[in-house]
Formats: sequence, C-alpha cells, structure tokens
Amino acid sequence: MKSMMMGMISVVIGAGMVFAGDPNKVVVDGSTTVGPIAKAFAEYAMQKNPVMNITVSESGSGNGAKSLLNNACDVATMSRPMKNSEKKAAQEAGILAFETVVAMDGLAMIVHESNPVQGLTLEQIRAIYSGQIVNWKELGGPDQPIVLISRDTNSGTYESFETLVMKGAKIGSKAEYVGSNGAIRQRVVSTPAAIGYVGLAFCEGVKVLAVNQVTPSAETVVNKSYPISRPLFMYTNGRPKAGTAKGDFVLLGNTPEGRKIIEDVGYIPVQ
Amino acid sequence: MRIGTRKILDRSFTALGGFSIGLMILALILILVPMFIRGGGALGFRGTIEHRRLLLEKFERGNRPAIEAEIRRFEERRAPIYRQIAEFEAELTRGDSARRRQYAPALRDLKKNLGILLGPAPGAPRPMLARDQFGQTRWDRAVIKLDRVLIRESWDYSDPTRGGVRVRVPRAREFEGTPVAGIFPFLENHLAEILQPRPTFYWGFLTDESFDSHFFGGIWAELLGTFYLTAGAMLFALPMGIMAAIYLTEYATDGPVIRLITTSITTLAGVPSIVFGLFGLAFFINTLHLSSAKSVLAGSLTLALMILPTVIRSAEEAIRAVPRTFKEAALSLGAGRWQTVTGVILPAALPGILTGAIISMGRAAGETAPIIFTAAVSIGKPLTLFQTLTQPTPALSWNIYNLATEHEAMDEIRHVQFGMVLALVSLVLILNIAAIIVRARISKKLKG
Repeated sequence: MKSMMMGMISVVIGAGMVFAGDPNKVVVDGSTTVGPIAKAFAEYAMQKNPVMNITVSESGSGNGAKSLLNNACDVATMSRPMKNSEKKAAQEAGILAFETVVAMDGLAMIVHESNPVQGLTLEQIRAIYSGQIVNWKELGGPDQPIVLISRDTNSGTYESFETLVMKGAKIGSKAEYVGSNGAIRQRVVSTPAAIGYVGLAFCEGVKVLAVNQVTPSAETVVNKSYPISRPLFMYTNGRPKAGTAKGDFVLLGNTPEGRKIIEDVGYIPVQ
Repeated sequence: MRIGTRKILDRSFTALGGFSIGLMILALILILVPMFIRGGGALGFRGTIEHRRLLLEKFERGNRPAIEAEIRRFEERRAPIYRQIAEFEAELTRGDSARRRQYAPALRDLKKNLGILLGPAPGAPRPMLARDQFGQTRWDRAVIKLDRVLIRESWDYSDPTRGGVRVRVPRAREFEGTPVAGIFPFLENHLAEILQPRPTFYWGFLTDESFDSHFFGGIWAELLGTFYLTAGAMLFALPMGIMAAIYLTEYATDGPVIRLITTSITTLAGVPSIVFGLFGLAFFINTLHLSSAKSVLAGSLTLALMILPTVIRSAEEAIRAVPRTFKEAALSLGAGRWQTVTGVILPAALPGILTGAIISMGRAAGETAPIIFTAAVSIGKPLTLFQTLTQPTPALSWNIYNLATEHEAMDEIRHVQFGMVLALVSLVLILNIAAIIVRARISKKLKG
C-alpha cells in the first residue's frame, strides 16, 4: 500500500516536471493597477496565437515580486520599482530581475461625485491621510467626517502613495485598507464622504480631483506637471527576448497595437 | 410539574422549532430566488444585433446571411444620426471659433456615449479592445446607455454646506438649434428598430470562453477549472480518507498515539481554509516544486488536505455504524480481515461514506481561500487534462470574487458575475443530487 502511494506521488511529480517547460505558457502575477493592461495584452496575444495560454492573476505588486523570486511566475507586473531588498533576494535565488516600463500612470485622487471639492494640494492630501484634517468642512465641503480609503501594504500603489504623497508621514489609524484598485473605486462610489487613490484605469463613476491644480491626463503626466505620476513595470527573469512567448508579451507595450491597448485601457503609453 | 405547564412548554417548543424552520426556508428563498433570477439573466436576455454580430464574428455562430442582412439594416437605420453629427461638425469648422469652442466638449462627450451605445461610428478605425468594438449587446444595458446619451449628468455644488445635487440636463436642450438636436428624439423612439432586440437564450454562456476579461463570451474556463479542482480534490481525499478511516476503526488499537491522531484530525477540521491555502503554497509549490507556478494539481492537493478530516470522520462514523454481527458473520465464515473489510464492511458503510463525500465536494467546489495562492487566476484558458499538472486555471469561486471587487469595469458586467454565482450553486446542487441518487441506489441494493 505504502509503496503504491509513493509510486503514485513520484509519477505525479515526474509528470509535473516533464510538462513544466511549456514554451507557450506565460504566468503573469502582480499588481492590480497593471491588471487591465496585462489582461488586455494576454487577450491580444492569445488571439494572435491560439496555442498560447497566458494566465493573469492580480494579487498586488508585493506578491508579484515574491512570485518572481520563487520562480512561480514568468512576468511580475508591478506598480512600483523593485526594492533593493527584493533585488538582493532575487540575486541570491539566481534570478536577474529585469525591469521593463510598460506604461505611465497618474495616481488619481478620487472622491464621490457629489463631493463639491474640486482639487487639493499635496500638503492637504498628506494632512487628510495623516489624520490632521478630518472633516470635509475644513476643505470647503459639507460637514462630513472624511472616510479614508487606502490600499493594503502589499500594494505597489500604496507604496507609490507613501513615497510621492506621504513622504515619511504616517497614514492615520482611521484609514480603511482594501485589497485592490477596483475595491477602492467601489468603496468611493458607494460612500459620499470617502477619498481614495487609484490608477487612471479605475476612474469610471467617481470624481477625479486636481492635485496642486493639475488634473491627471496623458498630457499632464507626460510633461510631469501632475505631481504624483509614476511608471508601471513588468519584471522578468533576464532580458525579455523577442520571439519567445514571454518576451513578446512584455515587449507588446512598445508596438503600436500595444500602445493603443494601453491608451484604451486608460493608461499612458511610454513616449 | 403540572400537566398544564408541561403542555404549554411542549407547544411553545414545537412552535419555536417550526418558527426557526420557517425562518430558514424564508432565508433560503430570499437568497436563492434573486440569485436564480439575476443569474438566469446571463443566459436568457433580450439580445441586440450587436450580440448576434459578436457571436458571428468571434465564434462563427448563427445564420450568416440573415445576420448580415440585420447588420445592414442596423447600419442604414443608424446612419442618419452620424449624418447629422457630420453636418454639424462641418458647420462648426466653417463657423467662428467661439462657437466651435462652445460645442466641442459636449460633442466629444456625446460621440463617446454614442460609441458605447451603438459601437464605433461608421468608417471609424476598429478599436483594439473588444469592449470598444461592439455596441451594447444586451437590451437591458442598452436602455441604461441610451439614458446616458439622452441626458448629461452634472452636479450642482452651489450649496457648499451640503453635498452636490445631481442635475440631469437633456442633451437635446444643450444642442438646441443645431442639426444634432434631432438625433435625440430619433434615438428615443427608434432605438429598438436600430438595435433589433430579440429574446435570446445564450447557452454559450456555459460553453464559450470569455474574452476581453469577461466582458463578452462565457465562463467555460471557470466551470472546467472548478470541475478539475473539485474532482482532483476528491481523487486525492477520498481514497486517503477511506483508508485512514479503515485503519482507525478496524486495525488500530486504542492507545496514546491513536488518540493523538484522532485529536489531530478533529483539530485539522477546524483550521481556517486560508491557512490551508498558505500551507499549500509553501509546501506543494515552494518546497516540493510540484509545479513551477500555481497549478490545478497544487490547488486540488490543497483542497484535498482541507476536506480530508471531514472525509475521514464521516467514513469512520459510517464504518462504526455497520452492525457488529456483519463483521462477526464474515469472520466466522473464514474470511480474513482484509476480505471482511472490503467485502462486507465497506459496501455496508458506503452510503454513509458517500454522504461525507458529498458534503466535502460541495465545500471543495466553493472554497476560495485555498486556491488563491495555489491554483486560481483572473483570466486563463480552459485546460486539457494534461495541462492541469502544470498550469493554473480560472475557477468560479475565485472569479466571482474577482469580478465583484477587483475588475476595472465591474458595474458593466454584473450579469456575468450573477451567471457565475448561478453556475456555482447549480454545480454544487447537481453534484449533490447525483450523489444522493447514487447513495439511494446503493442502499436499496444492499437492502434488497
């Protein structure tokens, strides 16, 4: 009985190893911000070459990096650059994390459509999130306590927000942490007094605030007048090679079709 | 106690029991009925010409000449709208720049909303994303989008002490006196003639692959993924569970080790499923390297571990419930221990074992947490049996969560989400009914 079980397990493991090197398989994991791009790219690539199977998970930039380190994904999508600690861990695991910028994004500050506030300064946003400004009344809005919505700490969007907006200040204890860009948007759509921050592809049905009097758009992000913009990344083990399934997927952002997809999804192609 | 008091107590107890059963049935109805109605909306709806065009273009399905005739009719009937817009645009380019500036943003917004309702304008380049290539495929969504074309929503923030107030401005008024003004009453009265809605039963929702991240198409990959994961989990858990139960009931002699094992099993049954998920990631993927990335194999093994305690406990109970006389009779006839177990005890215990299996199967199909890290992805293709060893898959439970919380356009595709919920509930229901029938058959055979 025992040897039968062992035999079964070894057969299963052996089979798993034989099929592991499928050249038409691309596993993409990481950022929920980059998710819409990754999903649309996958769709496009699979339509062009139907034998390919590209799977996309959206579990957060931090998870994407971890998956790449564990060799558990081919492409890690991230909305923040890899940290030095992650790069070092990658090196130790024998993985060369190669960075490709796929698109540009402006971190959009979003509020409910009924909110009369039109724009905030960076200082005001920092004060709101660190808990110094607690009521919309202080910003010229209605007398309502502000509901803070933030991404969880695994998120690249969260870390972008920390570095670009908070600059060392701590996010207040009243903030509500949710697991994806979509969830922030959903929370803001349903809560009149809420404020949140998302990637540009998640601004449907909410009001996007001007930051330092600049509204995020393709133009203001590219000319850097919008103060909180950032690149979106795809990381691979080694430089992506054209002609391979993985390489073509990552490099799609440089083709005219890929740039059009990025635009249609809501982000800004790299110039 | 006086007999009267006892009677009253008795009755109130019965009433309480009846009340709670009634409450449960009511809750079940309240949950299930909307689920079936709204989920049914994914399969049966009024489909527009855009839905039929989509099926023809993407899946080569439908009567080509008939649909092409319908498309021509669609193009003819919507043509006046675009003619009027083009006329107005020509007039604007000729006119002074102040007038151009006045109307340009409104016109842009109008064209965007028209595109959402009726698809790309005639002669416009084909967009990259499928969601932009087609107009509204469902009549219920088209009615909502028509409202967006007819009325521009804005917000009145004049009273800063309160939140803004929604103001609905008819676009017809915005464009009053221009050639475009005519398209609004035209659209309002003739939308059905343009989009040609027709009651549609889209069985492909269950058998088509989704495309453009669940905007269109069906949920075949998710259904198949859930099936693989559940079947895989049963494949691993059932034999192991039954063997463990046989060992614990028939072979093991009571002692501290066995007591420790039984306690462990009971404890394992109470471990939260997310812990199993993390364990599966750490053990099957990162330590054993069963597959390089998430895979159906790793996911079903994780699910198998999760349901194993339930399978063992229920199999144990079922085996213990077999009358001792069965076993004694077999042994007295000279059957060995193994023969007794396989020939007499197991068949008699089978209905009970199956009950446990049914409960576990439903749980395996519906659990999300164990597969987040080990098997589930947002999008992916339906897998072949061999690919399950190395590749991850979308699965109903995970994708319902994904569409409800993460998807960038979740409000546009609620019907897909409800369809998935319906599919998952029906799948579990069908599995249960099938197992109940099998169990009834076996019991009958044993008795007869």
